[in-house]
Amino acid sequence: MLVLSIAAILSFSTRLFSVLRFESVIHEFDPYFNYRTTRYLTEEGFYSFHNWFDDRAWYPLGRIIGGTIYPGLMVTSAVFYHALWFFNITIDIRNVCVFLAPMFSSFTTLVTYWFTKELKDAGAGLVAAAMIAIVPGYISRSVAGSYDNEGIAIFCMLLTYALWIKSVKTGSLFWSCLCALAYFYMVSSWGGYVFLINLIPLHVLALMLTGRFSHRIYVAYSAVYCIGTILSMQISFVGFQPVQSSEHMAALGVFGLCQMHAFIDYVRSKLSVEQFNILFRSIVLMGAVVSLSVAAIGTATGKISPWTGRFYSLLDPSYAKNNIPIIASVSEHQPTTWSSFYFDLQMLTIMFPAGLYFCFNRLTDANIFIIMYGVTSIYFAGVMVRLMLVLAPVMCILSGIGVSSTLNTYMKNLDVSRKDKKTSKKNVDHTYPFKNEVATGVVFLVTAFLITYTFHCTWVTSEAYSSPSIVLSARAGDGGRIIFDDFREAYYWLRHNTPEDAKVMSWWDYGYQITAMANRTILVDNNTWNNTHISRVGQAMASTEDKAYEIMRELDVNYVLVIFGGLTGYSSDDINKFLWMVRIGGSTDRGAHIKEADYYTPQGEFRIDKEGSPTLLNCLMYKMCYYRFGEVYTEGGKPTGYDRVRNAEIGNKNFDLDVLEEAYTTEHWLVRIYKVKDLDNRGA
Amino acid sequence: MATVNAFFLVSAILLIFTGFIDAADSLGDKVSQMTEWNNKKAVIRMNGDKFRQYVKTTPKNYSVIVMLTALQAQRQCSVCKQANDEYTILANSWRYYQQYSNKLFFAMVDYDEGSDVFSSMKINTAPVFMHFPAKGKPKKGDTLDIHRVGFSAEQIAKWVAERTDINIRVFRPTNYSGTLALALLFALIGGLLYLKRNNLEFLYNKTVWGGLALFVIFAMTSGQMWNHIRGPPVMHKNPSTGQINYIHGSSQGQFIAETYIVFFLNAAVVGGFVLLNEANSVKGDPGKKRILSMVGLGFVAIFFSLLLSVFRSKYQGYPYSFLFK
Repeated sequence: MLVLSIAAILSFSTRLFSVLRFESVIHEFDPYFNYRTTRYLTEEGFYSFHNWFDDRAWYPLGRIIGGTIYPGLMVTSAVFYHALWFFNITIDIRNVCVFLAPMFSSFTTLVTYWFTKELKDAGAGLVAAAMIAIVPGYISRSVAGSYDNEGIAIFCMLLTYALWIKSVKTGSLFWSCLCALAYFYMVSSWGGYVFLINLIPLHVLALMLTGRFSHRIYVAYSAVYCIGTILSMQISFVGFQPVQSSEHMAALGVFGLCQMHAFIDYVRSKLSVEQFNILFRSIVLMGAVVSLSVAAIGTATGKISPWTGRFYSLLDPSYAKNNIPIIASVSEHQPTTWSSFYFDLQMLTIMFPAGLYFCFNRLTDANIFIIMYGVTSIYFAGVMVRLMLVLAPVMCILSGIGVSSTLNTYMKNLDVSRKDKKTSKKNVDHTYPFKNEVATGVVFLVTAFLITYTFHCTWVTSEAYSSPSIVLSARAGDGGRIIFDDFREAYYWLRHNTPEDAKVMSWWDYGYQITAMANRTILVDNNTWNNTHISRVGQAMASTEDKAYEIMRELDVNYVLVIFGGLTGYSSDDINKFLWMVRIGGSTDRGAHIKEADYYTPQGEFRIDKEGSPTLLNCLMYKMCYYRFGEVYTEGGKPTGYDRVRNAEIGNKNFDLDVLEEAYTTEHWLVRIYKVKDLDNRGA
Repeated sequence: MATVNAFFLVSAILLIFTGFIDAADSLGDKVSQMTEWNNKKAVIRMNGDKFRQYVKTTPKNYSVIVMLTALQAQRQCSVCKQANDEYTILANSWRYYQQYSNKLFFAMVDYDEGSDVFSSMKINTAPVFMHFPAKGKPKKGDTLDIHRVGFSAEQIAKWVAERTDINIRVFRPTNYSGTLALALLFALIGGLLYLKRNNLEFLYNKTVWGGLALFVIFAMTSGQMWNHIRGPPVMHKNPSTGQINYIHGSSQGQFIAETYIVFFLNAAVVGGFVLLNEANSVKGDPGKKRILSMVGLGFVAIFFSLLLSVFRSKYQGYPYSFLFK
């Protein structure tokens, strides 16, 4: 118990690096949207939240928020917030959001302990809990400040799995109903619930194939499937998908198979052998034919919708690269190199197969489940980096089993008592000489591994996963730290210095942050649900000032915002993203005049200096980023206008802007805001 | 005299008219001749004379895309063969396209049949794709920049669309090799099952499934999926120093050789762990137990350190190491 509580506290504290280094602030982009919706929920109440139509995003289209999000995260935070306020502990909603993920990671530690205890024993449970407290693969998405769905989704997922294993082992309706409720919580929190609703049926199928089907499984699966599906359809985003889309068909199929299998078992116990055989064969044939034809007709007529792009690309990895460039461009959707595996999981990558091997030695119903979970999640993690998160818990569990088995085997051989030398001489075990030394060696090695693991995880967390990305820091020449708070500076300038109904155009990355912090209407944001609209913005950014002005007038844009890293050396700025703007802008009909080849030099390079392509040097994005930059000295020994990210002196220096005027540039020139000029007065 | 003048005038006018009609006729002739050749073959093969008559000289109201290539075996131009395949696919797509018209033709000139064409245009590489517009001379953009965009049918189609505003949808003939491979696999599995139909025990053998699962895991953890999607090279030979790098220098990429090394290291460490545990349950020679567990221990320690050092070489700044750097 003591070990477990230490592990839980450890998991909470190891996620606090960024809060200690910077402040309690929400990180990245997506969490800002979640934060804004949570704030709305706590202020307006659940009914208006559920029916919320947001007119401040995707101008002029708007977005139906109630029906396009998973509300679990927001509801959880709101519940905590109201509970705390009920006890007069007045914590601001922002702090509740920031610290929610670490708190849920402590809960995850506890659930992992319980889950592994069900699978093997308490010893393995403790090891697994300790491992999951610090595994970097999970920490990366649940640091303090990373207020995203995955923070609670992993907890919900492990809870559902633990309850499923419990209901499979006991076959009681009570545990199955609890499992269905946990499944409902999981569906409400993350789109990755599709993994669950496919893994559980797959497990039942595997049990059927290995001849382990019993009335416990029947009770467990039927209850979980029926109640779980009905509950999951209560979430508006999910709607009727569980009975219509291909991703859920496996569950339905296995449900039918379950009923048939149980029925056959019942009939088998009533009939004689020959009668039964005939009946069995004919029913199986009929059933197979009927179900296959129904599935085929359903898919062909479109009643059963085919696999959506995101999930299909997991099955056929080259699909996204060839067909859907937006999916292929997101860095989280890239495949995984081996060094990423090792970076996120270190020793677990080695202990995991060992644990799997031990599970194979001792096959039980529950073990089969964990084996399948392991193999499927490692395949998916190999296809998409982001899914490393789903792999991390199972790695911890299986490694816990592996380590504790090894230690169990060798601890028994440790001969600690030295008191009775005389008697021990007689009892020396001739079947196993040097037992003690070998055992000590093994125990020592495993301990060393665990310590190495701890060091690695802490180092990785501290170096790689604790940056809030809305506040940057760098080392000055004299060793002190410089903080770049330009993003918040710009958003608050927008908030205080522009009219309430001003519309801001920027690239979609910054949409969520602008609506949350600057509270202004935007054109496109990170939801990226409308490719044509994004393409229009891309066309505006990539065209000359006059053509861009037409587009901006059409979309009622008042302000334009760009991120520019040339002065500070910040490499994720809009010029580095520019080629994507060109590609997406040119991918729709109205952008057919934008050809990517025009923005390269004749030799095929992307250059911003004098050799650069004239189309590039005169487009709106270039002008907005480099306006007045030609007069600035950036580095010693270099001419004015030296871009520190592209390492070149810019080609088009002294130009004026016709249709924009500069509204605000932040301290380190990271964010630049321009006001779109009104139409000329007639006759002027 | 006046009649002679008038006669000359009339005959001159008549001559001019016939000249016009001839010209008009000759244009119609040219177009119908090109269309006829096109009906026989999607890509019209031309020699030097045909080229000069049908592509370079006016009157001409159609565009011609010409591939100048060298397909003869002794020329040993493998790139030309690949480009030819892609070009043929595009020409076929055009030929059977709904909006096929006689405003665009696809032709080719082989070096051995029309070397004068090559020399007259000062071309000494192959293949070269050129667009000869209906009016005027070809400009710089009328030569496809293969080095930058390649010569896949889609890229050529894109370039053709840019030069002529005619959009061709590339229709690739269905590749049956995938289906064939799948059918073969099923036949093999079916045959195997049929042969062993009396003794299906091997399907139920835990160790087989365990081994299979372990193999999948090792494959994934060593980054095979990344290889499948990104197609990296096997290794990298530094052109200036001649040194062969098996391991990619940064964490952003990996080589195929590298993944196999990691596969082997992973398998060795796990094998060591398994040995450690199995050693205890081995019956028989007591020394064997000890040796097995020592071997297991050694495996684990040594190969883990190797793995760590490979990892260090990719992440500069990683401060930990186990047994050796």
